[in-house]
Amino acid sequence: MSDNLNDEESGVVLIGVSKTYVNTPKAALHDVSLAIKSGEFLCIVGASGCGKSTLLKIITGLERADKGELHAPAHVSMVFQSGALLPWLTVEENVKFGLPSQEKNKKDAGQPEKKYLDMVELSDFAQKYPRELSGGQRQRVGLARALAAEPQALLLDEPFSALDPKTTDDLHKDLLKIWKETGVTVIMVSHLIEEAVSLADRVVLMKDGRIEEIFPIALPYPRRESGIAFHELVQKIRAKFFQ
Amino acid sequence: MSQSTRHIGTHHRHMVSYPRSSGQSLYTLILVPLFTLAIVVFLVRIFAGHTVTTEHITFGFLLEALGVTFLRLTIAYVFALIFSFPLALLVTWSPSAERIFLPLFDIMQSVPVLAFFPVIIVFFIHWGLWSGAAVFILFITMLWNIVFSLVGGLRVIPQDIKAVGHIFGVRGFAYLRRILLPAVVPYLVTGSLLAFAQGWNIIIVAEVLHTYLPGATESSDLFGIGSVLVHASAAGQEQIFLAAIITLVIAIALLNFFVWQRLLQYAERFKFE
Repeated sequence: MSDNLNDEESGVVLIGVSKTYVNTPKAALHDVSLAIKSGEFLCIVGASGCGKSTLLKIITGLERADKGELHAPAHVSMVFQSGALLPWLTVEENVKFGLPSQEKNKKDAGQPEKKYLDMVELSDFAQKYPRELSGGQRQRVGLARALAAEPQALLLDEPFSALDPKTTDDLHKDLLKIWKETGVTVIMVSHLIEEAVSLADRVVLMKDGRIEEIFPIALPYPRRESGIAFHELVQKIRAKFFQ
Repeated sequence: MSQSTRHIGTHHRHMVSYPRSSGQSLYTLILVPLFTLAIVVFLVRIFAGHTVTTEHITFGFLLEALGVTFLRLTIAYVFALIFSFPLALLVTWSPSAERIFLPLFDIMQSVPVLAFFPVIIVFFIHWGLWSGAAVFILFITMLWNIVFSLVGGLRVIPQDIKAVGHIFGVRGFAYLRRILLPAVVPYLVTGSLLAFAQGWNIIIVAEVLHTYLPGATESSDLFGIGSVLVHASAAGQEQIFLAAIITLVIAIALLNFFVWQRLLQYAERFKFE
């Protein structure tokens, strides 16, 4: 691994992080070190149970590492695979849930949640409830809520895995647009190598709780999945994945 | 692990107001009508001054008896609600707490509460709280239905939903109010429905105190639809018994239609998919 862990520009740095869950003999994470630059789009791929979701949970503080060091920015937000929207709140209220408290308490703040609803093109659905939305729309609300927290690092845990290809493609475009507009550091977990290569600056391949290899993706955006360079990169990662 | 730069984006976050609170709507839906009814019935009862007798029965008398019984059930329900949340939270606090308290509560739930009724009556009569004995027995009967429903509800809250609270800095009482309470509303409604059903069953026994007191007469009984039913039955007054039972059934049906069915429908919006 050739990561510069002392890079002061790093958005998130993990040094020798290990984690073993109670009642499981195998470590979920074993001595993981990784530096993610501020404003970078990093994608973590790997088989189920390789530790990629645990890594996200440790960065957000949902789990504590047994060993190692973590340097994370003050504001970290997350988009969940399930959407994790609160069913008793409207779309607008769900997005408002993510706003920092000082924003919510400001008397002259207006309606800051509207900006994030516009960003994910859901302004017309503000008064709907999550059950009235499609899977893709729910993920958009989850994304708007996460952005409303004004994060320095945005974490996404397989956010598009349950969506159809067309919706996934639309959300990929929107995510890239938002990433470029906001400059937020994005760390996304995916089980699809093609998805990772089409979005990320770097793809981290994890195996058995360790980082197997990091692949820089130097292709220009928008990336064409039919392109030769794209195909070669996917094949390279896939070969390592199945090795 | 070094925590020097471990910040999870929850700084400067405080408890915030909760606009268009669904919880608030629920309180309005349940508590306001219940308390209004309770106050009206209470005032009627105070000024009417009936004793437990079935000699001169009118429809108004039956309605008043029903109202007083409903007031007892409501008071017991409110107490059961207040106590059930901390008990359910205690059980689900941690796996260790669950291992200790769940079997304990299960045993307490299984103990036939009426077996202790004579002792409970003596205790409350000692303090001059005759109606307190009935309310207490109703409270105990209702409590476990709500506690176990809430425990079920708290257990099935998805991990991601709990994580949302952490990620967006909702902690402590705000977490309870904004995530846990709304998440268990469907379970609270079904638990309350079952609690009231049990309460209606028990009321027949709970108002007839003289059966549990040596040497006591019917004058020791509490005024209410339960005692009216028992006295009419004992005196062979079939028409009065029939009128009382019909009044009770209609009241339960109306309560079911106008309160429980609507609450069940309302609770749908709180369910996770």
